[in-house]
Formats: sequence, structure tokens, C-alpha cells
Amino acid sequence: MTTHDTTPSSERPALPPDTRGPHSQRLGLIVVVATFGGLLFGYDTGVINGALEPLKRDLGLTAFTEGFVVSILIFGAAAGAIVGGYLSDRRGRRHNILMLAVIFMIGTIGCVLAPSWPVLALFRFILGLAVGGASATVPVYLAEVAPVERRGGLVTRNEVMIVSGQFAAFVINAVIFNVWGEVDWIWRVMLIVALLPAVALFVGMLRMPESPRWLVAQGRDDEALAVLKQVRTDERAEAEMDEVHRLADEEAASKTAGTTDLSVRWIRRLILIGAGLGIFQQFTGINSIMYYGTQLLGDAGFSDSAAIIANTLNGLFSVLGILVGLALINRIDRRRMLIGGFALTTTFHLLVGLSALLLPDGTAKAYFILVFVVAFVFCMQGTIGPLVWLILSEMFPLKIRSLAIGISVLVLWLANALVALAFPPVVEAIGISSTFFIFVALGLAALVFVHRTVPETRGRSLEELEAQFRRDYA
Amino acid sequence: MTVLTVVTDSPEGRHALAAGVQEATLLGVDLLVANLTLGALDVSALPPDLRVTIVERHGGGDRDPVRAVLDEVADHPDVDRLVICVRRRSPVGKVLLGSVSQQLLLDSPVPVLAVKIPS
Repeated sequence: MTTHDTTPSSERPALPPDTRGPHSQRLGLIVVVATFGGLLFGYDTGVINGALEPLKRDLGLTAFTEGFVVSILIFGAAAGAIVGGYLSDRRGRRHNILMLAVIFMIGTIGCVLAPSWPVLALFRFILGLAVGGASATVPVYLAEVAPVERRGGLVTRNEVMIVSGQFAAFVINAVIFNVWGEVDWIWRVMLIVALLPAVALFVGMLRMPESPRWLVAQGRDDEALAVLKQVRTDERAEAEMDEVHRLADEEAASKTAGTTDLSVRWIRRLILIGAGLGIFQQFTGINSIMYYGTQLLGDAGFSDSAAIIANTLNGLFSVLGILVGLALINRIDRRRMLIGGFALTTTFHLLVGLSALLLPDGTAKAYFILVFVVAFVFCMQGTIGPLVWLILSEMFPLKIRSLAIGISVLVLWLANALVALAFPPVVEAIGISSTFFIFVALGLAALVFVHRTVPETRGRSLEELEAQFRRDYA
Repeated sequence: MTVLTVVTDSPEGRHALAAGVQEATLLGVDLLVANLTLGALDVSALPPDLRVTIVERHGGGDRDPVRAVLDEVADHPDVDRLVICVRRRSPVGKVLLGSVSQQLLLDSPVPVLAVKIPS
């Protein structure tokens, strides 16, 4: 325990500005290399979309084994996020990213060579561990290397890289499928492309430094200063050491509270809200489009080769949505934007469902469904997608933040996996329209949930929020 | 000589603080407050002539509140009384979340004053 410090911590000396110089290039290179982790995250989750049709034929998948093979990567990611977070604290961010790059390679090669679906499932689980580990490590590494003025922007860049990775996977799959035709083993070619960014991440990361904040937390101040001098001017590096110490201290504080603290009602309630945000973000079904978009469009009436091309629009509008969302995110109140987002996505779910139900089979129906699905993806990625992550980072008291975000993110991954597992058998059993009506019902539930429970976090201090939670939930 | 009182985020916590103040005033000694809540503790209403020091939980080492308090007792040899407020807990609740009070009562090396909120 530490003795109470009564001086306000907001009084910090101003840092000298981050002027440009040779160190800026070094920082730029670090960002490019590290965000390969985000790109791999996106590529490996997206590549199954488009690979799935030939894969199903080649390995003889049923609707259930299809959902199993797709979702097991996400279950792996849930485990990988926990283990990865732990290891990156113990062994360091750089070490962790290097290890993840190797796991990405092993997982990819294993999937490409898999002779049967159980082997494929095993290696997709391993790949999932790397995806989850990357989700827990790369943004932290970027935030810890970046100067405070650019921190938000660089972390955001990782999110853009994730959806760009998915988009890239969709495009490359479409090209491979349309050029080399419908050979059943073509999915192996699609999957092996992911080896390239994994190798780039590994080779690049070998030459990148460890996070200065992690080094400080280990008591290795000299090394931390040496790293800072690589990515800042010398003057700024010296001045920033205090700041790094303060942030390392804050991070330690975020790990204070444990499960015993869940006995306090308002804290329990707050964590339930965080978990609910994770669940409803995934229950929009965004990832059913990101994993099964090609198949969905095939079911809607496109030919196999047209569906895989049309699916690239899902990837493109996912990227555009994130870019628009990130531009808007600090201009609109969080609750308003979240409610607006769920209202839009639910409307488009309804339109997809009605199109599938009412329109006669044919090209017009296929195009209507495509437009509404793409509009859903755009609205989702422009609002709920980035917002949920932002609200999760803002809503918890510092001392329980690590545990609370850990629980919320775990629940989010599990909800993601559940949707991925259930989507193919549900579509097979009840069809596209009824499946989307289920998403409509979940969207309406999300609207009630957000309206009734989610706090407004924009422009409010943690103390104000805490006072409100105590008042409302105690 | 110092009294250490344990303040949790509950009505019991506020009562423990009051009881700690009373005990320290009665004995004419200083008060050490272990803040187990996750926020800041408001001590502006305490008697001005009482010397109060607040200790906060900080970092993973203080994750277990019982250990955090017992470490504090070990760190302050002048602490010779622990003040806590206890309440009835269901057996299921104790199994799920444990009982901080029970562990403190059993493991504290100094005498414990356990008070209850008057019903």
C-alpha cells in the first residue's frame, strides 16, 4: 500500500515539443512494423471468407463443422488475449510480438497443409492464440512507444490496419479464385498468403526496440532512456522519463483490484455493462459478414465468382466506415452515437431480412441484399465498432481497469465466437431472412440496454463518473 | 501507538471509519486508515485534532485486501489495534467471495475491534 498523496497529480511540467528529426523515421518504422500485427489479425480472421466455399467441398464440411472450424479461431483468440496480456507484462512487448509472429507462421503452415478438418481446426485454434495475443499486445506497444501527442492516432492506425487486413484478404481471395478457377485446394493458396506479413512482422520486430514503459516497470531505466533517445530528440527523451514513470505507475495501479472487489455492487454493475457492450457489439453480427460474407451473398443469388467479388465491398466499406467513425468519434456524445449506430444497423438488418423474404429470387434481390449488407457494415464500423472499445477504455475506475477490461474483452471474444459458430447452422435451418430478423431482435435489445444502462463518458472525469455510479447503483 | 481502521466501499466501511475515529480519540492516539475502496476517501469531516494518515492499495501486490491490510500492520509496528465493521454473510457469499472480516479476525497479529452497524 502507498501512503496518501494529497497534491493533485494534474500539475505536470510541459514536455518540450516532439520536433522532427532522424528519430521520427525510426518511430515511423516501428509503427509500420508493429501494425503488421494488426494486419495479420485482420488477414487471418478475414481469409476464411472466400476460402470457405472451396474448403467446404475439399474437406467435406457440414454446416456445423463449418461453424466449428471458423469459430475455433475466435475461441483461440479469447484464450490468446488473456495469456498474451499476461505474457506481455512478464516477458515484454517486443518478445511477445516476436513470439506471436512465430505462432502466426506455425498456425498458417499447419492450416495450409491440414489433411482433414480436425487438423485444420487445431491449427486455426493456434492461429487464434496469435490473433488474441496480437489484439492484447500491439496496441499497448504502440501506445507505449508513441509520444503523448500522437498516441491516440497511432493506436487508431492499428484498428485501421485490422480492417485493412480483412479487406486485403477479401481482395486477394477474389483475385485468386477468379484467376485460378474453382480448384478445390485453392483455399490452401489463399491461406498461405498470410505467411508473408508474418515473416515481415518477425524480421521487422527483430530490429525494433522494447517498450520504454515496460522497461521502466522492470526497473531498467537506462535501457528505457536509450530506447526513448531512438524515437525522440535527446532533450525530449530526458524530459519524458518522468512521464514514462508516471504512466508505468498508473498501469501498476490499474492492476490493483481483484475479484474480491466484485463484492461491491456498483463495480459489479459497471463490469456487467462493459461485458454487455462487448456482447451487443458482436451480436450485431458484424463478424458473420466478415467470415461468411461470400457465402451469404452466394445464398442471396450471386454466382460463386460474383459473390467473392461482391464481398470485397464488405471489406472496403468496413475500412471506410472505420475511417469515418474515427473522424466523428470525438465530435458526438458517445451514447448518442451508440444509439444512432444500433438504430442504423438494426434498420439495415430489417431491410436485409425483408429483401430475402419478399423479393423474388434473381439478380435484383441479390443486389438489394448486397447494398443493405454493405450499408450495415459501414454503419457498424463507423459507430459501434470503434465506440465500444473507446467506452471500455474510459468507463472503469483506474484501480479495477485491468480486470474489468479483461473480463469485458473476454466476453466480447466469446460472443464473437458464438455468432461465428451458430451462423452457418442457423442460416441452413431457418434461412437468411429469419436469421436477420434474429439480429433485428438482438439490435432492439441492444438499444434498450444502451439507453437504460450505458453511461456517457465523453468529456467527463473519472471522479464524476464514479460519483454517478455510486449514486445510481449503490 | 496507532489505531488502524479498514474502510471498504459499503455502509460497513463508513461505520468502521467512524468507529476507528472514536477509538483513536478515546485512546488519544493517531489513526491510520486503510482505504480498500477503489476511489478516493473523503476525510474532510473527521475531527481536525486527530492525526489521520490514509494508505491506498496500489498495484497487483495489494490485490488481496486481507494481505494489503496485514502488510500494513507489519509495516507499522506502532499499530496495536485493528478496527473493522462486520456483517452477516450468507454461506454462499462467503464461498464465492470469501470473507475479508473473517480472515482479518483470524490472522491479525494485533487485537481486533469488530463493530456492527446497529440494527
